[in-house]
Formats: sequence, structure tokens, C-alpha cells
Amino acid sequence: MKRFVQSEGYARTRLVLATLFIVLGSVTIVRAVMGVGLTWKLLPAFVLGAAMIALGAFRYRDYFAARARR
Amino acid sequence: MAASAAAKAAEQPELRRAVTPWGSFSWGYSDVGADIFVGLGLVLGAAAGASNIAFLFAGLVYVCIGLAYTELAAAYPVAGGGQYFVFRGLGDIFGFIAGWAVLLDFTIDIVLFAWSCIDYLSKLLPFLSFTAHPWTHFIIVFAVIAGLALLNIVGVRESSAFNELVSGLDIVSETFILFFGFLFAFEPQLLVHTMQMSWPTPFNLMNGVSLAIISFVGLESISQAAQETQRPASVIPRTSISLILTILIFALAYSNLALGMHAWHPIPLDAHGHAQPLWHYLGNEDNNGAAVAVLAANVPYFGALAALYVPVLGAILLLISSNSGVFGSSRIAYAMSGTQLLPSIFQKVHPKYRTPAVSISVFCGVAIVELIFAALPSLSPPVREIYTRLFRGEDGITFLGDLYAFGAAASYSFVFIALIFLRFNDSQSPRRFKMPFNIPMTYKGNRVEFPVVAVVGFFGIASILVFTMITHEIGRVAGPSWIILGIIGYLFYRKRKRLPVFRSQPHDWRKAQINILQSAGELEMMDEYIVNVRKMDEQRAIHGDVMR
Repeated sequence: MKRFVQSEGYARTRLVLATLFIVLGSVTIVRAVMGVGLTWKLLPAFVLGAAMIALGAFRYRDYFAARARR
Repeated sequence: MAASAAAKAAEQPELRRAVTPWGSFSWGYSDVGADIFVGLGLVLGAAAGASNIAFLFAGLVYVCIGLAYTELAAAYPVAGGGQYFVFRGLGDIFGFIAGWAVLLDFTIDIVLFAWSCIDYLSKLLPFLSFTAHPWTHFIIVFAVIAGLALLNIVGVRESSAFNELVSGLDIVSETFILFFGFLFAFEPQLLVHTMQMSWPTPFNLMNGVSLAIISFVGLESISQAAQETQRPASVIPRTSISLILTILIFALAYSNLALGMHAWHPIPLDAHGHAQPLWHYLGNEDNNGAAVAVLAANVPYFGALAALYVPVLGAILLLISSNSGVFGSSRIAYAMSGTQLLPSIFQKVHPKYRTPAVSISVFCGVAIVELIFAALPSLSPPVREIYTRLFRGEDGITFLGDLYAFGAAASYSFVFIALIFLRFNDSQSPRRFKMPFNIPMTYKGNRVEFPVVAVVGFFGIASILVFTMITHEIGRVAGPSWIILGIIGYLFYRKRKRLPVFRSQPHDWRKAQINILQSAGELEMMDEYIVNVRKMDEQRAIHGDVMR
């Protein structure tokens, strides 16, 4: 486990997941707006989408920072 | 004398720094990640159609708490977490109160998670169900707590590798549940319809918010593990931010899914023979202790498999969390005893096993008293009548949730105040991570930054504390009573030991900070700290000369 989480393969997998998070976050926001329209009742869905995008972006930043260190 | 003290310090064993970034994340996840397994059903039962709003409010407060803990744990990478930050920032008596509130939380943590662990198992083994067989449930929870106490006294603790494996499996499993749920059964229109038709009263919404915060308690673990984390100043911010966002995503996703999902299987009729929506079914007394397992079983396609393993996975995660309550309470009491906030008996270690056996026994004993208090109404009908008259008939798990929310809100409130004080009074300590949105200003000749988010977070958590006091009959009495009893004991102890009662003992924080950073291996930060301190002393000397 320890060896796996320190490998390049793991870092790339995280990058793929980060991309997925960004896509899913965007889909959550877009689908909510398209389905119901802009209403405050969808605030939790918007924050959910934003949190997913933030997590994806954070992982991207993490990956590039680690690469820059190497 | 000094030489012998130095030799003694050198002999003192240090915690091994073996926790990696993933280890730090999973350490926190195994504690906070288990909370949604308990919180979801309770919040759905209280806040109904506004459960997602309750989770959103508590989640945003939790983000502020998370950022505060991240900043403080990276600046002061020492075991103790919130209690240490408050002790350092606000002094002895507030350090005691914060630690005492954390101790309440840890003892509740032991019972609440052991209770929920059995609730999850009851989905596979119906004879463990609390509503159908309260005595069996009570005896098994009692045995789990006693067993964990014994294991901790003997010194057996779940390994970090086991934590990592369970956390990894749980993240994958929860992602699958949410993926299948949102893809095949979620409908935004149903979500909005549920919110419109089942919007709760303001009282129930406040109740829901106060229960939602329990889904976010446990970030303390990352700070607790700071002393064992490799390069904590750089690792903790990375893992904490990931953890904060992951937990927020899961909590919001589950609450939205529960409100806007069509159940894959027919939902049984309610007690009055009426059809009920999925969220109502998840929040009722039979299912609120194991809501995630019931939700998972109702997810299309994946639900058939999830129904088999989610109760087991949930139970394991909850058991780990319960164990972290046993471990955490004994270690916090041990640390508080070392700084003379609690009597030295809490530092007593078992002669054979070298574990803080007295602390473990005392706090597991408190946990068992809480268990009896929570289970009693279901075990004895006359007691149920008394509870109904005095406490609106709160059920056992809600009572535990009340106290958990009270302890967490009380200790977090102090952490925010401590963070603001430390920004002003210890601006020399390098901070590799700072909460965003700061206002630069000058304080006593030093450039400092006022943390706006800490103020927002403080008001958020203070409002949750107020909601808990307003909406929970038992929490309103039992929580403050615990704090007041603790303060009385503290005053008595300090007076008897001839220590300052309301003031703090003198502490050499500069020396302490250098030692902390040195033992953390953060030598750059240590050098930076020494330079900052020197600069400040020079400035003060110049300022003093000018004044003269």
C-alpha cells in the first residue's frame, strides 16, 4: 500500500480522478440549473458542485507542485 | 539540576514520525468519515425536506473549523489538538475547559459509534436491532465498550495500515453508491418538490443543523497525529484540505440524494399504514442509526451488492471511530495531567502494559454511564414516561447526538478564539498555511493579520451551540453540567496543589516552540522562528530606548 501511494501510477490515477471530480462538479451544477432553474433551493447542489471542482483543482495543484519539486 | 533535567528529557521516549500523507488523510478519514453513517439518519429525521440545507450550514461552518485546525496543526505540530491550541492561546483555565469539552466528545464518541456499529450490523443480523431487542442491543454495546477499554489497556491498537485499507475501501464504496444513485435514481425536480412539501418548522431546522454538525466532527484526529506525521507543516495542509472537501462532498451528496432519489425497492408503509418517501423511511426510529446502509440498499443495480457489505464496512469504520474515542480521551487526559490541568492520577500507567490504564478506565466508565442514560427509556417503560415528560421523549441515539454536538461546538468555539489570539500574540511562529481572507494590521509594533474567516466560523459554531441549547432538552442540561462540574473540580484541584487558580502558570513558549519544530524535523521553520523572535526583541529594545 505504502509503495503504491508513493508511485507515479498513483499520482496519475489521482490526476484522472481530479479530472473526473471537475467534470462531475460541473455536470452537477449544469444539470441542476437545466433541470430546475436558478433557485436558492439548489444552493446545496451548487456548493456540492463547487466543492467537487475545488477538490479536483486542489489535486491538480498538488500534482504539479510535486512535479516541480522533483 | 539542569543537567539531570536535560538527561531526563533526553531519556523521554518520543513518538515515532511514521505517518505519511495518505496515513494522515486516512487517520482523519476513519474518524470524520464515520460521522455521516450516524448523522444522515438523525438529520433526515429532524430537518426533513431541509436536511440538505442543514448539512450545508453545518458544512460551511466545518470548512472554517477545518481551515483553523489546518493552520494551527501546521504551525504547532504537537499531539493534543484543539486542547493544546486553546491552552497555548488562552491560558490554563480555558485550556482546561476546551480539553474537558473534548473529553465529553470523546466519551460520547465511544458510545455513539459503538451504538451505531451495532445498528449497522443489525441490518444483517436483525436480532441486534435496538427497537426490536433493546436489551440485546444494550448488552452488546456494553460489551463492545468494555472490550475496547480492555484492548486499549493491554495496548492493542488498530494499525495505521488497517485504517488506510478501511478508509480506502470506504471512499471507493461511497463513491459507487453516490455514482449509481445520482446516475439512475436521482431527480432534481423531486429534490425541489421534497424541499417545498416537507420544509420543517424553524425549531426542527435548528434541531437538524445542530445534529448535522456531528457529521463533521473528528478533524481533531489529524492534529492529534501531528506529532507522528512526517514533515507535518507541509503534509497536514495537503491532507486536511483534501479531507475537508471530501467530507463536505459526501455529506452534501448523501443529503441531496436522500431527498431527491426514487427508491429501487418498494418502501414499507409507515406506522399508520401510509406510504412514505425514502427520506422519511431513512429518518425513522428503525433506520436512523443505519441510514447509509438502507440508502445504499435502495440504489439501483449496485444496491443488491451494497446491501450485503455496506453494513459490515460501516460497522468496521464505526468501530475504529469508537476506538479512537477510547484512545483520544485517555491521551488527552494524560496530556492535560502533564500540564497540571488534571490530577496526576490520569498520568498513571499500567505497570505491565505501560498504557494510561486509569484514564482509559475512567473515561470508558463515563461512556458506560452515558450508554445507560441513553438506553434506559427503551429498557424500562416507567423511565420512558419520565423522559417523555421531561425531555420530549428523545430517543437514545438522539440524546448521544445532542451531547456530541454540544461538546464539539463548545471546544471549536474556543479554538477560533485561540487562533485569533495566537495570530496577535505569537505572530513570530511561521505559518506554512494561513486561513484565507486576512486583514493586515499592526499590533504592539508587530505586523499581524486579522483572520476574518475565524470570526465567521466563530459566529457559525456559536449559533450551532445556541441551536443545540434551544432544541435539545437533555443537551441543554447535561452539556453545561459537565462543563460546570469540570470547572469546580479544576478549581478545587488547583487550589489544593497551590497552583494559580484563574491565572496561568508561567510557560516558556519560545523554548517549547523551538523544541516542537525541532522534533518535527521542520528545521527551516525553526530557524525562521528564531530569526523572527530576535527581530521582535531588537524592535522592542529600540522602541523601549526611544520611549525612554
